[in-house]
Amino acid sequence: MWSIFKKEFKSYFLSPIGYVVIGIFLFVFSVFFYLTTLEYGSVDLGSLYYYTALYGLMIIAPILTMRMFAEERKAGTEQLILTSPISMIDVVFGKLLAAIAVIIITLLISFMYFFIVLYFGTPNITVLLVNMLGFVLVSSAALSIGMFASSITENQIIAGIITIAFLIMSLFIQDLNNVFSNLAIMNFYQKFPSGVISLTEVVGLLSFTAMFTAFTIIVMQRRKLVK
Amino acid sequence: MVICVKNKKEEEKFVIQVQNITKKYGSFTALDAINFEIKEGEIVGFLGPNGAGKSTTMNIITGFIEPTSGKVIVDGNDVSKKPKKAKQQIGYMPEGVPLYGDLTVKEFVTYMAEIKGVKRKEKKEKVEKILEETGLLDVKNKLTKNLSRGYKQRVSMAGALVGDPKVIILDEPTVGLDPKQVTEIRALIKDLGKNHTVILSSHILSEVSQICNRVIIINKGKIVAVDTPEHLEQKVIKDNSIYVTVEDPENKMLKIKEKLEKVEDIKLISQNEDKTKKYIITAEKDVDLRKSLFETLAKEGITIFEMKKADATLEDAFMQLINKPEEGGKE
Repeated sequence: MWSIFKKEFKSYFLSPIGYVVIGIFLFVFSVFFYLTTLEYGSVDLGSLYYYTALYGLMIIAPILTMRMFAEERKAGTEQLILTSPISMIDVVFGKLLAAIAVIIITLLISFMYFFIVLYFGTPNITVLLVNMLGFVLVSSAALSIGMFASSITENQIIAGIITIAFLIMSLFIQDLNNVFSNLAIMNFYQKFPSGVISLTEVVGLLSFTAMFTAFTIIVMQRRKLVK
Repeated sequence: MVICVKNKKEEEKFVIQVQNITKKYGSFTALDAINFEIKEGEIVGFLGPNGAGKSTTMNIITGFIEPTSGKVIVDGNDVSKKPKKAKQQIGYMPEGVPLYGDLTVKEFVTYMAEIKGVKRKEKKEKVEKILEETGLLDVKNKLTKNLSRGYKQRVSMAGALVGDPKVIILDEPTVGLDPKQVTEIRALIKDLGKNHTVILSSHILSEVSQICNRVIIINKGKIVAVDTPEHLEQKVIKDNSIYVTVEDPENKMLKIKEKLEKVEDIKLISQNEDKTKKYIITAEKDVDLRKSLFETLAKEGITIFEMKKADATLEDAFMQLINKPEEGGKE
C-alpha cells in the first residue's frame, strides 16, 4: 500500500494536477474567506470550511480521482498492477490515501486564514481543528465516489462527469425524498462547522467512504472475469 | 483418473501447467481447451497469426484474465486460488509495453520492485543490478515517455525481471523495433533463458526458431503443434515434395492427381493476390516428379509460375499446420 501511495502522491506533483488542485482549492477558500469572514468581520472559520467543502469538492474531487483507474486501464498499466502479487485492497487504499494527502496539504496551507484572523481577533483553534477533521472526512467520501467512478470506465472524462453529477445531485436529491438524504455527503457535515464532533456524522462519512472503497475493490477484483 | 495421477507425479518438474483452459467471450471461443506444460529452464515460443489466442493465453497464465474453465498452475500454485504466490513467480511484459510515462526509468523499476514485494533492504541493489543487465544504466534518469521504442521495451522487460521471478513472460517482445534493436533484444532474451524459464509470443517464425527450445503453435484458439523447431521442420520435410505456384483459373489442379503417376497428395498452401496459387505436391519415394509435372500441367493449360523442390522451413510447417482444417487440435 505504501508503495502505491508513494507513487500516486508523487504522480500528482509530477503532473500539474496536484498544483492545479491546490490552486483551485485556495482560490475557493479565499473567495469564501472574504464572503464569510472578512465581510462580516467575523472570527468564525467554520462556514469557510463548510462552503469550501460544499462547492470546492465538486470541482476538486473529480480532478483528483478521474485518472486513478481510468488512466491505468487506458494506458494498459492496469496489467502491471493486476499481474503483480500486490493485493487490490492495497492498491485501492494507496490511491485513495494519496488523494486525501493532497487535500491535507491544502488544509495545512489553509492555516494561513487562521493566522490572518488571528491578527485581527481571537479565532478558536479547536473549532478550526474540528473543521479540518470534518473536512478530511467529507473529502474522503467525495474522493471515494470519484475513485469508484474511475474504476468503472476507461474514459477519464466520463469518470469526472459521473463524480460531478453525483455531487451536484446530492445537493438537491434530499428535497425529492428524505430517503435519499443519506446520499448527500454534506448532510454529514452540519455540526463540524460549529466545532462539534458528532459521532453520527463521523460514522456516516466513514461508512460512506468505506462503501464506495469496497465497491471499487470489488469492481477491480472482478476485472479479470469481465476482461 | 490416470491423467490426474500422472500430473501429480510430474508436478515438480513443470513450472507452468496449463490444464484445459477455455476462454469464451459470449459465443466466441477465444481459447478452446488448451493444455500444455512448460519445464524449468525452457524457452518456449507461442507462435500463431494475429488473433490466434497468444495474448489471451499469456493473460490467463499471469492471472490478468480469468479463464471460463480450466486452471493454470504456476510453480505448484493455482493462479486463481493462490494468486499472490503464483504471481510472485511470474514477470510479465504485456503487449504494447505499458509504462508510467511520468516516472523515470529507475523510478519505474523501483516501483515494480515495490509492488512485487522486494524487500526494502535488497531493493536498491536489485534495481541497480537489473538496470545493468538490461543495459539501461545510461538512461536511468530519463522519463520513460521520452524513450525510444527499443528502450521502452527494455524498461518493460526490466520491470518484468525485477523480483527474481522464475518465469518471464514476454508478449511480442520485438514488435515495432528496428533490426538492430531486434537483435539486441533477442540476445537479451537468450541471456535471460540461462537463469529463467522464458515464454514469449511472436508471429515471426525465424525469431522463434532462433531463440526457443520449444514452439507451441496456436491457431484459432487451439494448439496445433508442440515441438522443437527442428522437429517441426522435419515433420514437414517429405523427401519428394514440390512447391508449384500456378495460375489455374479453372481450378484443375486438384484433379491433376489422377493424371499424374506416383503422386500421393496435392495440397493448396496459399492463394496469392495475383490469383496464382501455391500447392505442395508429394510424390512417392525416390520419384522426381518435376519433369512429368511440367509436361502434364502444360497439357492441361495450367501455367507454372514457379516450381521448387521442397526444402521445408519452419515457415512451411507453420503455414501447413495453420491451414489444416479442424482436425488440427488433436496434437
